[in-house]
Amino acid sequence: MLELRIAGRDFGQPVLGEVFATIARGDRICLLGPSGIGKTTLLNAIAGLDKSVPDEAVIGRDKLRVGYLFQEHRLLPWRSLDANLKLVGASDQEAKTLLEQVGLSGYGHYLPDQLSLGMARRAALARCLAVKPDLLLLDEPFASLDPVMAGELKALIAGILDSHPDMAMICVTHDGGDAEILANRLWYLDGKPARLQWDDLIAEACLINGLLDKLRSLEPARL
Amino acid sequence: MRGRAGRPPLWSYWVVLPLFVLLWGSIAWLLQSPLLPTPLNVLDTLVRESATGELWRHLGATLGRVVVAFTLAMIIGTAIGIVMGRSQTTNALFDPLLVLLLNLPALVTIILMYVWFGLVEVAAVMAVVINKVPNVAVTVREGARSLDYRLEEMATVYEFTRWQRLREVWVPQLFPYLMAATRGGLALIWKIVLVVELLGRSSGVGFQLHMAFQVFDVAAILAYSLAFIAVVQLIELAILQPLERRSSRWRQPEAAHA
Repeated sequence: MLELRIAGRDFGQPVLGEVFATIARGDRICLLGPSGIGKTTLLNAIAGLDKSVPDEAVIGRDKLRVGYLFQEHRLLPWRSLDANLKLVGASDQEAKTLLEQVGLSGYGHYLPDQLSLGMARRAALARCLAVKPDLLLLDEPFASLDPVMAGELKALIAGILDSHPDMAMICVTHDGGDAEILANRLWYLDGKPARLQWDDLIAEACLINGLLDKLRSLEPARL
Repeated sequence: MRGRAGRPPLWSYWVVLPLFVLLWGSIAWLLQSPLLPTPLNVLDTLVRESATGELWRHLGATLGRVVVAFTLAMIIGTAIGIVMGRSQTTNALFDPLLVLLLNLPALVTIILMYVWFGLVEVAAVMAVVINKVPNVAVTVREGARSLDYRLEEMATVYEFTRWQRLREVWVPQLFPYLMAATRGGLALIWKIVLVVELLGRSSGVGFQLHMAFQVFDVAAILAYSLAFIAVVQLIELAILQPLERRSSRWRQPEAAHA
C-alpha cells in the first residue's frame, strides 16, 4: 500500500537517516524510540507535511486518504465540532455518527476550546475518521491524559481498529504497553541520525515476555 | 488589537460633549462674529441644507467614493499583504516600494492622478486607493507572518482547497489585523476623500467645504463637518462594532467544560 524510501532529513544537523519500509493494509504499527529522536519528523514525512522530503520518497501516498491525529487537536477553534467534521467531507449524518462513536454525542455545536483535552482529542480523532482514512497517523495520542482518560481512548482506538480491518495505522508512543494493545508490528527508531533499528511483527511470545523489557535491553551496539 | 478596552464609560460622552457645546455657545454669543457661529446657527444651517436635499446629495457622493475606495484598497492591500507575509521573495520585491508609498504625502498622489488622468472620478478614487493600499498591506503582512503553522499542516493533511484555506483558516486568524486595517483605513480614507473632492470634484462634502471656504461661511463648514462625523460614528456603531463582536465570539468560551 505504501513504500517508504526516505533518504534522510536535516535540520541543520542530520536528524533522520535513510528509512526504508513498506506498509500494508491492516498493518498496525507502533513507532517507539527515545524522545526527540525524530518520530514526529518521520510521521510528518509520511504524511507529506515535510516539503524537503520529495513525494517520490513515499510511494503510494497520493492514492491514500490520510487521517492525522496531531498532538494538539488542531481543530479550527472558530468552528463547531460539526462544522470541523463537515469541512473534511462528512455529511450531517456522518458527523453525528462519528461524534457518537467517540463518545461526544450532543457536542456537535460546541467549539473545540470549550472541551477538555481528552474530549478535544477524541473530536480530532472523529475528524481523522471522517475522511475514511486508508492510513491513520497518531502522534502520541495518550500524552498528557490522565490514566483513566488514556485508557478510555486506548479502548476507543482499539475498537476503531477492529471495525476497520483494512485501515493501516502508525502510532507514535513512548509506551511499549500501548503497542501490546494496539499494534501488530513494531518500529523502533534510534541512532544518530535515526534509523529504524527494528521493524518486526509483534509475536505473541514477545508480548508475553514483556515488550518493554525487551526494548530496554536493546543496545544500539547489538543491532 | 482589542481596541475597545481603553474606552471610558458612556456617561463621560454625555457630560463632556454638552459641556463643550455650552462653552462654544457662550464664546460665540460673547464674540457675536460671523466667523464663529453659535451652535444654533449651525443646527439651523444643517436643517436647511438637509431640507433642500443638498446635504444628502453631497454626503451620498462622499460616502460612495469612500465605499468604493475602501473596498478596492482592502481587497488589493489584503492580497498583497498575504503574499508578502508568506513569501520572502515577494516581500523583498515589494517592501522597498511600500516604504516609498508609505512616505509619499497623500496630496502628491492626488495631484499626480489629476494631472495624469484629468479631473475625473476614476483618478479621484485611484488616488485614495493608492494612498491606502500600503497601510493595509503592512498590517495584513504582520498577520500573515503570524499564521499558525500547525493549522497550515492540518489544512495540508486534510486537503483543504485554496478557497477553504483562505476562508476557514486564514481569514479568521487575520481578522484582528483586517479589523485594525479597516479602522485605520476608514479614518484615513474619509479624510483623503475630502481633499480629493476639494481639489477636483464638483460634488461631495469636500466640494461643499471648498465652496463655503470661498465665502467664509463658517456655519456651513461646521454643519457639514458635524454631518460627516455623525456618519462616521454611525458606521462604527452599526457596522464595525457588531462585526467585531460577532467574529470574536469564539475567543470567549462561555465556560470551560468538564
